[in-house]
Parts: sequence; C-alpha cells; structure tokens
Amino acid sequence: MKFRSLATAAVAALSLTTLAACGGSGGQDDASSGPKTIDVWLMKGSVSDDFLKRFTDDFAAKHTDVKLNVQIQEWNGIGAKIIGALASKDAPDVIEVGNTQVAQYSASGGVRDLSDKKADLQGDDWIEGLAGPGNFEGKQYGIPYYAANRVVVYRKDLFAAAGITTPPKTREEWLAATAKVNTGGNQGIYLPGQNFYVLSGFIWDEGGDLAVQEGDKWKGALGTPEALKGMEFYKQIQALGKGPKDSDEAKPTQTDVFAQGKVAQMIAVPGAAELIVQANPALKDKLGFFPIPGKTADKPGAVFTGGSDLIVPEASDAPDAAYTFIKELAGEKWQVDLAKSMKYVPNRKALAAQVTGDEGTTAMAAGAANGKATPNSPNWAAVEAKNPIKEFQTKVLTGGDPAAAAAAADAIITEALNSGK
Amino acid sequence: MKPKRIVLNVIALGVFAFAVFPVYWMVLTAFKPTKEIQAETPSFLPTHITFTHFSTAVNADGFWSFWRNSALVAISGVLLALIVACLAAYSVARLKWKGRQGFIVMVFVAQMTPWEALLIPMYVIARDTDMLDKLPMLTLIYFMMTLPFTIVTLRGFLNAIPPDLEEAAQVDGCNQFQAFRRIVFPLLAPGLLSTSLFGFITAWNEFAFANLLIIKEQDQRTLPVWLSSFSNTFGTDWGATMAAATLFMLPVLLIFLVLQGRVTSGVAAGAVKG
Amino acid sequence: MAVAQLERTAPAPEPEPPARARRGRPRLLPYLLIAPTVLGMAYLLIYPLIRNLVISFQKFGIAQLIRGGADFVGIDNYRAIFTDDKFWSVVGRTFAFTAINVVLIMVLSTLVALLIDALGKWMRLTLMGGLVLAWAIPVLAATTVFQWLFQSQLGVVNWVLVALGFEQYDGYAWFADGTSTFAIIVIMIVWQSVPFAALTLYAAITTVPKEIYESAAIDGAGPVRMFGLITFPILRPMFGLILCLEVIWVFKSFVQIWVISQGGPGDATLTLPVYAYQIAQSLNRYDLGAAISMVTVLLLTVVLLAYFRQLFKEEGEL
Repeated sequence: MKFRSLATAAVAALSLTTLAACGGSGGQDDASSGPKTIDVWLMKGSVSDDFLKRFTDDFAAKHTDVKLNVQIQEWNGIGAKIIGALASKDAPDVIEVGNTQVAQYSASGGVRDLSDKKADLQGDDWIEGLAGPGNFEGKQYGIPYYAANRVVVYRKDLFAAAGITTPPKTREEWLAATAKVNTGGNQGIYLPGQNFYVLSGFIWDEGGDLAVQEGDKWKGALGTPEALKGMEFYKQIQALGKGPKDSDEAKPTQTDVFAQGKVAQMIAVPGAAELIVQANPALKDKLGFFPIPGKTADKPGAVFTGGSDLIVPEASDAPDAAYTFIKELAGEKWQVDLAKSMKYVPNRKALAAQVTGDEGTTAMAAGAANGKATPNSPNWAAVEAKNPIKEFQTKVLTGGDPAAAAAAADAIITEALNSGK
Repeated sequence: MKPKRIVLNVIALGVFAFAVFPVYWMVLTAFKPTKEIQAETPSFLPTHITFTHFSTAVNADGFWSFWRNSALVAISGVLLALIVACLAAYSVARLKWKGRQGFIVMVFVAQMTPWEALLIPMYVIARDTDMLDKLPMLTLIYFMMTLPFTIVTLRGFLNAIPPDLEEAAQVDGCNQFQAFRRIVFPLLAPGLLSTSLFGFITAWNEFAFANLLIIKEQDQRTLPVWLSSFSNTFGTDWGATMAAATLFMLPVLLIFLVLQGRVTSGVAAGAVKG
Repeated sequence: MAVAQLERTAPAPEPEPPARARRGRPRLLPYLLIAPTVLGMAYLLIYPLIRNLVISFQKFGIAQLIRGGADFVGIDNYRAIFTDDKFWSVVGRTFAFTAINVVLIMVLSTLVALLIDALGKWMRLTLMGGLVLAWAIPVLAATTVFQWLFQSQLGVVNWVLVALGFEQYDGYAWFADGTSTFAIIVIMIVWQSVPFAALTLYAAITTVPKEIYESAAIDGAGPVRMFGLITFPILRPMFGLILCLEVIWVFKSFVQIWVISQGGPGDATLTLPVYAYQIAQSLNRYDLGAAISMVTVLLLTVVLLAYFRQLFKEEGEL
C-alpha cells in the first residue's frame, strides 16, 4: 500500500517536473494588453518603508500600464546574485548597484547602454561620484541614484549628560569625548572592527590610500606608514566601545544595535537615523550628527563617497517600462523627497539647494567637501568580495602585528586588482 | 551499582551533555525573552518561556512559502531518487549482467562529486534550458545528489533479503515483477523509508544551488537560503534566529525519531554484505 | 577480500550471496532497470562535469558567462594554479583538515559505540537519544548555533570561560584567530559526524555473536585485546565503509566552512572546495574555479583509489 502512494506521488512529482520544464519556454509577457510587471531590486537600507510606500502608491496612480514589484536585497553575497541575474534570460528589470561595483557590471556586457537617456535625465548635472563609475568607455550604463557619505550619528542626551556641549572637531577632542560617554553600561562608540570605509577615511587623512597605481599595475598600499597610522587611530577609537572586532556594520546591523539605546555614537550615513527611529521611536529627538573629525579643526575627516546607480540588464524584457521607473526615481520630485527623508545627497547638483537645512545633511555636506572614492578599477569589486582589508583590521584589533597583516592584505589586493591583465 | 558501571554512566552522561548542549541551547534561546538573552549572566534553565521569537520567525515575510518550497523540493527529489534507485538496486543485487562491476564503482564515484564545483556549469545548463527560477530544477539536482547513496544502501537492504523467497513465489506462478511486488517490496519498505531520510536531509539542507538558481522569483526561495540571510533579516535578534533554526530542524527531527534505528542497521547490512 | 574474511570468521546471519545466474531471463532487463540511473547521471552529473572540464580550458569570466563565446586557452588555468604557492598550501591544509577530522571521528565514534554497548538499557537509550538529536540538526542550523555559542559578546562559551576564572576571554573574538576558527570548525564537524558513525558502528557491533566474546573472556582476554582480536576484524568492512564515507564527506565540507569563516581569517580555514568556490564566486574567475575543482575530484579519487580497487575486486568475486 505504501508503495502505491509513494509511486503515485513520485509520478506526480515527475510529471510536475516535465510539465514545468516545457512550460518554461513560453513567454508570458507576450500579451501586449494589460499592465507590464517590472521587477526592481533595491538594496537593503537604501529606502525606508515609508518612502517606498509613498513612491509606489504614486507610481501606481500615475502609470497604470506598469506594475511595480520591488524586492529588497541583502548586501551580503549580492555580487554573485547580480551576475547570476545579468547572465539569465529573464533578469529583473532594474537593479540598484553600489557605485564601487557598477564598473565591473558595465564592463561585462550584460547591462543596457542608456547613453541616449542622459539628456532626458539632465545628466550633465549629475554628481561625478555616481556618474563616473556608471560610465564605461564613454557609454552611460549606470544612472545615478543617490549618494551619501558617513558622518557620526550621536545621542545628544548622552553627550549632554556627560557635559559635552559642542561636538568634537579634532581627533583628540573626539577621543576625549568618546571616552567620557563610554561609561555606565553605555558604549562610547559602536564601531565594528571591519568597517573598512571608515578606515579608508582615516588612511586618506594621513595621506595614504588603499591601493596605488604604478603604470598600469596596481599595488596594495596598506603597508605604507600612512595607512598603518590610520589603522592605529582606528584601533584607538574602536576600543572605546564594544563593537565586535571580527565583524562589519551589517552583521549585526549596526542601526539595530544603536536602537537598543546603549550606544552613544556610531559612524553611518545620516539616513541611518531614520532606520534607528523606525526600530526605536523613543530615540526620535535624541539623535544628532557631526562630520567625522579630522586631524585639525579646520578640515573634517576624509570620507568615502558612497552611493548607488541604477542599471537595466540587457536581459530585461521590459526596458521601456524599466526606464519609466528610473525616470521617476531619478527625477527631481522623488530625488528631493528621497534626499530629505533618507538624508541623501540627490543625484543632481542643482537639487542640492532644495534639501538644505537638515542637521544630518549639513554634517554630511561638510564631510563631502573632503570626499574620496575607492581605487577606480573594474576589479575593485573583486577586492571587496573577499575583503582582505577587513581581515587586516581584525588581525590588528586582536593584537596581531600590523605590518605583517598589512603585507598579507596587500598581496591579495595586488593580485585581485591585476587579475586578468 | 558496581564502580565500573558508575564510571561508565558518568562518561555516558558527559557524552550525552556534549552531544545535546548545542541543540538544547538553540531551543532554549528560542524560548527566552530577549532581555534574558542579552543578560550578562546567561540562565541555563527555561525560567520565563516566551513564544514571541517563534511568532517573529513565523510571521517574517514568506516564511511559510519558503517552508512549503523546501518540503516540496526535498520530498519530490527524494521520491524520485527512491524509485530510480530501487530499479537500479534490484538490477545490481539480483541479476547478473555484463558491466555490473563498473556500474557499482561508478555509483560509488558519483558519491564523491563535489557539488559546489558544478554550480557554474549547472547554472549555464539551467539557463540554456529555461530552468532558472524553477523549483523542478532544484528537484532534479537534489535527486541526483541523493541517488548514489540511495542505490548503495538499498542494495544492502536487498542483499539481506534471501532470493529464495522470490524464487518460491515464481514457482507458484508469479512473474518476476509480481514476485518483487508481493514478496520483496514489503520486506524492503522499511529500508526504503530509512534510506529516504538521508536524501531528505541533504535536500532540506542544500544552500548553494538554491541560492544561485532561484534568482528573480523570490517566493520560490527555499528555507536554507532564507535562514542564511536571517542574521540580516532579524539583525541582532538571536532569539528569532534560533527560533527559525529550531523550526528548520523540526521536520528532520520528527522523521529521525521514527526512522533512526532502521537507517543504521541498513547501512550496517549494506556494508557487511559488501 | 574483506568480505571473504568476514564470512570465514563470522557466522553471518544471512547465508550466501544471492544467486544471480538465472536461466531464460530476457538479457535486456538489467539494462532497462539501470537506464534511469544512467540517464540521470549522464544529464545531471557527467554532462555538467564535462562542461566544467571545458570551462577549465577556457578563459571564462563574467563577460563570457553573460555573453558566451569563451576562448580556449589550453592548460593556462592549470598552469596558473599549479605555479601558485597558495594552491599547494590549500592542498596541504585540505589533507590535514581531512586527516584530523576523520581520525577524531573514527576514534571517538568507536569509543562511543563501545560505550553504548556496555551501558545498561536506560542509559543506553538516553545516550542514543542524545546522539540522534545532534545528528538530526541540519548543518545550517548547527552552524548558526555554533556561531551563537562562540559569539564574542553574548556567547555562552566566553561566559563559561570567564566564570571559570579565565578573564582574558571576556569578549574574546574566536573567529578573529586562524587557529581557533579552525578548531571550532573541527569541533563542529566532529560533533555532527560522530552520531552517524557511532550509531552505525553500534548497530554493527550488536550483530557480533556474544558467544565469541565469552569464550575469549574465558581465555583471559581483556577488553582491548577483545576489540583487536574479535570486534575489529569482524567489522572491518564496516570500518572501511564508514572511513570511506567520512573521508568523502569531510573532504567535501563546504557549507560549514563557508558560513562560519569563508575560508578565513587569512587562509586559515581555506580548503579546496572553499577555495574553488571563492575563486569562482568572489573573484569571478570561473575558469580557475573549474580547474581547481577538477583537480579536487582527481585528488579525492587518488585518495580513495585503494578502496575502489578493493570494491572492484569484491564485486568481481561475487
């Protein structure tokens, strides 16, 4: 008896398999009538639930011919996933990609050339930190989406309780202030050991870099005295809290840690404040911002200009609808809204004037004056994928020899950047 | 009790504790209130039981559809493997034919396949045959992952059943298939069940292919893929994470409790008979 | 040979190997019965393996994956990995990793199996229940639990160590150090593997007739001698099979390592399967990844060659 039911089920499973195998090739998008559904991948943390709802409601009302299916992706392991999507026959229609990674996708041939849309989107006014990486061999593949750089998000109430009235302006002041609030079960700063964007800033402050180009060859530069000094400072400030030495800001999500209310400062884009309040509304009016302090008071610390571009895969079966979406999201109305609600830098310089007045964006703008980018190579994404800089940080923070750890990381960076040359 | 017995029992308790603690800790954390999880001094007994973590996990987006996908893929893959393996095992255990040796060694070699190495070729094949984003593709892969082991074990079970029984039935006028169905199959059924356990675990656990071959249709994802992202999904919520892991373990545990004894004796039979 | 020996020494419960030569059978039947297996393997195993082999002789990166049209580059990929010191250190580490794990698993599971055999009924059932529990936990869940156990801030292991007076483990980051990460992964794999091996060995031990032990006891043999003289020789094929399975399983371990450390910190836990995956998925050098995995298959085959030869011979005898 058992056999019969087993067999029936298995036959059912078999026929399911074959049926589905055959059914797959027929395109369901052939129907020209009815709304077209487009799949959009946005990265976790790039928009708040609130903003997304406002945007999708408005979009649905305006464009009845396009149905929007937005999926939020995790940063962890996203590279392989995007490549899998680009190589497939039925890819998502719009994908958000980080500005340090867009170059390799543009170079791969799997992304649609959107150069002819540039004028329509007033692309001459785009900010360079997003438009540059999205451009490969003169063709525009990535459409600037938003930019942001890191600031220090802090708890005004805890600072006030510790008697600190003005935010620190130099590294010394910063260390002193952080040590002061690092008491009574509170962490002075929550800085995970592997936040390499923060480290990059400290290294740039010292005049060093992550990698340098010599001729057409790249070379890892963590072993330089400047870089080691940057790491030295990272270690000092990191010790004034309980940030895990062996993990980065995504694991655990640092806004969640901050939202638990036991952390006085963290380094993040200003938009993180939105996510903190979303997780813990009690912190609503207690959050403040200041630029990452530099070595001297007259110049804030150097920061990595982060952000994202939007791309349309070649394999998208609805490029026109995809563009309709991009035009909305990258257009003035929603860029201003996004910049305001997420505290981002909008994708066009002309829009910046419309988003002033906010404490977070002001702090960010002050830092942005000293903004820098990761080494400009399509291979940089490969470095980030198996990030040797993070291991370098963990090794130094747990008492390893900085020079030896840097040499090991440099070897990997050098190899990855020169791979395929 | 004799001293020797006491010593043995103490050792046994130690082994027991070592084996069980991680599982216990997982389930305990799942039932603890968040405040206790984050307490400086952990408590080792369930003093305040809460179900909030389970509701967090269960109410997370798509949990049930991932659960269903996993079950569907694992069960159909295993059933397919059982049927195909049953035929092959019968052929190997009961019939004499040229190439038998080679076939057996091939099955053994197939067991060694490092599956992660086949990700890219499998992706290319799936793409070129329009099988991306489709659960049946995963079913087929899990079928192949479990097939070799299933054949080896089933053959062991078959060898343990004396062929005289079938021969007698054939003398009584049954044909070979009838003899198999009426005589061998009932004896083999427990073996089939226990063998399916291994396949089920393999398929239930599989991550790499599920992660790469299901791209766009997120509601086609399986539980392991979701589980691996949930340290992100839940942030620092170890309670919910452990609750999700507990729910992930549950079906396997249930099947195990029912089938465990037969599995080990089955492998033993398979090995003893070569 | 092992089987022949077994049948000499042990009064096997099931008598002779099944009679096979039957007269008047359609000669096609056996081939029809294995046809689904062969077809399945051809399409889902051999075909992808061949594709993999082909990729290993091409230049195959993201662009080729997306657009197709990969060029053949001969043995360049193999030359690249063979001249890379890192590859050889990974090979060495993989063998060390496999050896450490398998030895621990075999020794511990034998001891546990003998322990179960020596216990009274209740204790035996309790212990077996515990083992089943550890066995049943899916790899991914177990990996998550171990990360939680060894977590630096709230992990219970650090708490216990501090409570025992080892203050330096307050907030200790286990996964920051190569050796400790390696050790944790070994503990985890052994913990996951022992139950299967121990329960299977125990099931086999119960098939050895008690009378043999009794007569040996009369001759004054101690437990160690009894194991060496009776249990082990009788169960040799069993040990062989479990050893072989464990070698295969440990050598191929991927999920445990990938989820916990991705092969790091540094290269401390980088074994061949992880290395192949890392190169392919992180550096997008699918060609190098394919070459490494082909070498992996080859190495594993060489390791198990002796066993396969044995297997082939036995099958011939039957």
